[in-house]
Amino acid sequence: MAEVQVQDKGEKGGKVRSKKQSTRVDMTPMVDLGFLLITFFMFTTTFSKPNVMDLGLPAKPKDETQKPPPTEIDLTNSISLIIGKDNRIFWHQQDQAGLNDQTLNETTMDREGIRKVVEQAKARAKKQDLFTVIIKPTDDAVYKNFVDILDEMAITKNERYGVTDIKPWEKAIYEKKVGGTSAPAPTN
Amino acid sequence: MARVKPKRHGVVTDMTAMCDVAFLLLTFFILTTQFKKPDVEQIKPPSSISEKLLPDASLMTVNVTPQGKFYFQPVENGSERMQVLDNMGKKYGITFNNNEKVAFTKVQAIGVPMSQLKSYLNMPEDEQKSFKSPTGIPLDSTKKELIDWVEQSLKVNPGYKLAIKGDVSTKYPKVKDLFEGLRDIDFLKFWLITSQEGKSNE
Repeated sequence: MAEVQVQDKGEKGGKVRSKKQSTRVDMTPMVDLGFLLITFFMFTTTFSKPNVMDLGLPAKPKDETQKPPPTEIDLTNSISLIIGKDNRIFWHQQDQAGLNDQTLNETTMDREGIRKVVEQAKARAKKQDLFTVIIKPTDDAVYKNFVDILDEMAITKNERYGVTDIKPWEKAIYEKKVGGTSAPAPTN
Repeated sequence: MARVKPKRHGVVTDMTAMCDVAFLLLTFFILTTQFKKPDVEQIKPPSSISEKLLPDASLMTVNVTPQGKFYFQPVENGSERMQVLDNMGKKYGITFNNNEKVAFTKVQAIGVPMSQLKSYLNMPEDEQKSFKSPTGIPLDSTKKELIDWVEQSLKVNPGYKLAIKGDVSTKYPKVKDLFEGLRDIDFLKFWLITSQEGKSNE
């Protein structure tokens, strides 16, 4: 068996062992080192690869004539999410006339909040396969919120979603809602 | 008391096989590992449930720092990088000498406007590494240099993919500018780099 060369301490000068000296080397330190390096490389390989998320943008219409006619979306078949500042998120299912302080609802960025809202809205939709989520990040939003919402779309398996700019009339209500302190272009 | 040195040899095992396996695995991991290059600036990507891994085939990356500065990381391939630089130089009326071109193939990410690129490339290498650009690559309605970088790269090889790495606290308008710019050049499919959910990546 692999073992350290037996050190015959006191018998050096003594009787010469005729026993064949074992050629086996102790491999324990070598194996130790091997596994140490394996662990290191294993961890570095798995952690260095970041995950990615697909994002496709709609093509910009080349000129005004190519612009598709504004499609009429049944209000119950869509939900607008407005990403505000400080991780706040608002949603509504109204058009310009119907949107006011009461109909712009606030919810939270987590499973209990936004996911439920989207799921419930989807359940209420008249044509579920046409249910569309319209994501409208305000200028106060941070990148993380945006990715979180895209993530939420992936979780709730909503294939139909779009990212657009917030409309002025929505912005007005939103700003009223977050408080009059928010100046037109808040930079914090 | 009885001095019968017990022969304790039983526990010693033959480790040759284990050693073989260990080093086989070690070789495998050494050969497959790709070290992550140090980032110019610390960027913490947001988390997502996506489990898709970033493919590394001819990829260019746009980094957006928390302050909203843009860095462009061209493809790895050296000769194609030179072509990108040539194209950019042509577009902006700057010619680069061979030294600068070589420096460009080694550079990790560019974060300077075209006007400063020449002096940046002439810096010694370690100075380049620690150089933190105060401006990043300009991108606004009048100066779309970042978009030009992407566009010129695509001219060299239309098969390039683009990944965008933004920080958790990057302001959305910056990202929107980038998206709009990319839509302008009809480059509509790209990836957002995220970290795995539940793992506070770096």
